[in-house]
Order: sequence, then structure tokens, then C-alpha cells
Amino acid sequence: MHHSYIDKFSYQNSIIHRLDSRVKVITVLIYTAMVISLPKTYLTVLTCYLVGPFALLVLGKIPLKFAFKQVLLVSPFILVLALSSPFYDRASLTVPFGPITWQISRGWLRCCVILAKFVITMLALIALVSTTRFSALLHGLQKMGVPKILVIQLGFLYRYIFLFIDKVQHILQARAARKMRNLGFKKETKVAAAMLGSLLIKSINAAENVSIAMQARGFDGHFRTLTKSKIKANDIIFALVAVSLMIFLHFIIRPVMT
Amino acid sequence: MEKAIALKNFSYQYPDGTKALSNINLSVEHHRRVALIGPNGAGKSTLLLAVPGFIKGDGQIFVDGIHVRKKNLKKIRSIIASCFENPEDQLFMPTLFDDVAFGPLNLGLSPEQVKKRVEDTLKKVGLSNMADKAPHHLSAGQKRAAAIATVLSMEPKIITLDEPDGNLDPRNRKNLTNLLMELTQTLIIATCNMDFAAEIAQRAILVDKGQIIADDDTEKIMKNSSLMNEHGLEVPKKFI
Repeated sequence: MHHSYIDKFSYQNSIIHRLDSRVKVITVLIYTAMVISLPKTYLTVLTCYLVGPFALLVLGKIPLKFAFKQVLLVSPFILVLALSSPFYDRASLTVPFGPITWQISRGWLRCCVILAKFVITMLALIALVSTTRFSALLHGLQKMGVPKILVIQLGFLYRYIFLFIDKVQHILQARAARKMRNLGFKKETKVAAAMLGSLLIKSINAAENVSIAMQARGFDGHFRTLTKSKIKANDIIFALVAVSLMIFLHFIIRPVMT
Repeated sequence: MEKAIALKNFSYQYPDGTKALSNINLSVEHHRRVALIGPNGAGKSTLLLAVPGFIKGDGQIFVDGIHVRKKNLKKIRSIIASCFENPEDQLFMPTLFDDVAFGPLNLGLSPEQVKKRVEDTLKKVGLSNMADKAPHHLSAGQKRAAAIATVLSMEPKIITLDEPDGNLDPRNRKNLTNLLMELTQTLIIATCNMDFAAEIAQRAILVDKGQIIADDDTEKIMKNSSLMNEHGLEVPKKFI
């Protein structure tokens, strides 16, 4: 089956793709922390923070349509949280946006801020995974001191999650092909439990097979790789630009807009 | 000269008590291409798992004259490489390059040697331009070729392949046949596809219900239609 892989643009060649994964990971992490730490009334400031992920996406030649589609895919979880805000906080508030001001309830403002923070951080994350090969990302994490076992687990997760989704889809198709009527809650629960059991057994079998395949190629518990990375001039320039942008947003734009 | 593999009175039963292999006596010379043929559930895959010591049964197994037991496993797995039925199980690293390099790195080769081996092997299987790709970006035929590359890069003396032609279209099967015919290693191939086995193997071993039923030249066994039919197999087109 074909999945729309989140990293399908990571094999492109652009100025952002060529950057060291560590520089990109650290930049995105700091940027995300800055966005999250903004107070819940700073909606106008937040809009300026969109410039970072947009710059990465445009310079990385990642279609914006693709990026927004990915954001939409995960949005239902955050939408529930955001849309509940207007119901419990109806106090009115005046929001300035440069020379313009408008009235809004505190709940709706919080809703907009949650959504804006979500969109900005998600776009930054999508820009990161779309411009960095997963193998380079794993290598970067390992170089940054993330425990090796965690990096290996992440690698396996990424490698096998799509196969797992395939298996789930196959089981659901097999069920749909033979399910002629609504079985009622009790029977449906029983069927779902049996399907989960089958999935668990298949996963255990797959894990055993992978383990045998690893042992067959001399695996003794130590992961060895050849990947090497070096911080280059481009990486330093990118880091300087990113830091300048963050300083500009935090110390110049933020006081002006609020 | 030592035999590539030798099994002496080898038997294996599953934990639930089902007999999978009964009293197997078998030896294979070096540089031979041998097909393990038999119906589904005959014990072919179990036999391929037993040879490199992934499962432990009664009796003795020797690989290139070395007794298969725990203390020899590292040495044995540098001599015999296994290519499993599902390439997804074989390709577990983030990129094809890392996957093909995995075995040579575990053999303790230097980074330069590993790089050379990976490049040579990927060229041999026709995947030179795919080195940086993630395995899930490969087609079924490419995955099969990549799985074989992962064992070829270890330069083993013996290669076992379990249903290597599974899920392949005719063109990819032809490519695989050509690739396997070029190899100089001892090949032990378990397959249900008689045309594929007839094309590749010089010797065929018919296994059914965990026992060796016949062991002879491929042509002699496969031309025997009553024997083939009796064990749920068919005479390949080549011999009709």
C-alpha cells in the first residue's frame, strides 16, 4: 500500500536540505520553545513567528500545500482542545494589532492562540522532517547525546510503522469483506478484541523475524554505523541567521506589538 | 575438503510437540546450487533456520566443517548468510546503504572496506543509485534485490534463501535468476516454484512432512511426475 510519507521531500536538494541535521534540530527546538512560551494573549506577536517555518519551507522547496495538509491531518486533536476554550472564558478583551484594535472574548483569543501556536510549531516540525532524511536525523540525535537505545527504537519505529499500518488495513479489509450487517456493540467489541490479538501476534512474529535477520548478520547488541557528519560554514551561517531572527522577534517585535 | 553443510540425524519439533523435521541426513558440497522443494509446511524454512543455528534440535549440524553450537555461532554466521522469506524483515535500517553495511560492520571490517563492499554489492544487484533511499521507498523487486545485497556484502561462502522468488513479477524473477546464476557461492534455496528451482538448481532435495523424500539431480527428480504429484508439486515447464 502507498502511504503519504511525512519525509517524502527529504531527498530533495536545497540549501536547507544540505544543512547538518543537528543545527536544524536545535534551531527548531529553540524556536518551538519560544513560540510555546509566549503568553496566551500575544496573538499578534505570534503571527510574526510564522516567518521562521515559512522561510524554511520556501528555501527548502517544500510545497506549502503539502505542509498545510500535514498540519490538517493532526489538527483534530488540538481543535477539540482549542474550540473548548470559548465556552469557559467569555470575558471581553481588546487586542491591538499595530494601529488597529478589536474586541474579542478571552476564550476566543485563547482558542486562536492555541491554534496559531500549533500551526507554527507544526510547520517548523514539518520543515525539519521534510528537509532532513530520517537517517540523518537519527544520526544527529545520536551525536547530540540522545541515548543510543532511544535512537535505535526511533529508527525501528519509523521503519516498521508503515508495515504495521498496512497490517491494520489488511485486517480491516478482511473484516469488511465478510461483515454483512451490524453485529451490535457486544459482538463488535469481541471482533475488535480478536483483531487486536491477531495484530499483537503478527507484531511479535515480525519482531522475532527481524531479530533473527539481525543475528544472521552478526549483530551482537552493538549498533555500528558509518555515517559521519561535520559542521560546515553553511551550518554556522544558518545558525547565526536563526539566532538573529529569534533575537529580533523576542527583543524588538515582541515589545512593539504588545 | 569439508562439505559446505552436513546434517546428521537432525530432528526438530516445535514447542507444542509438532514434529517439523525427522532424522534429516544431508550434505551439500561447496559451490553447488541446491533447491529445497516441497509443499507448504513441509519443513523447508525450518531446515534453513536450523542450519545457521537459529533453532536447536537433536542431532548434529556442521557448516564448513564447524559444529553448529553456541560457542561457534559467530564464526558460523560469517560463513553462512541467510536471506529470509520476507524482505521487510531483512531490511531494518533507515537507509539501504546502512542495511548493506550492517553485516560487514559487524564482521569488524574497516570503514573503507565496508564502503567498498557496499558499493560493489549494490552495483552487482543493480541498486547503485538507491543507496540513500529508505527501504520503504523501494519496489517489491528492489526490496528482494536489496535483501540479497545485505547478505552478499558479507561475502559468505554459503547463502540460504527462503522463497526468494515470492511476490515477484516475471521480469523481476528473471533478474533474480540471472543474479543468483552469477554467484559463485553455495546456494541453498527453499522454494515452491518448480520453474524457478529448475532454472537455478543443479540438485534438488524434496522435503515433505519433515523428511527427505528424494535427493538427486534436479532434472531426475522433477521429471518424475508421479513423485512430484504425490507430494503436491508439479513438473516444471522446462521438463515437460
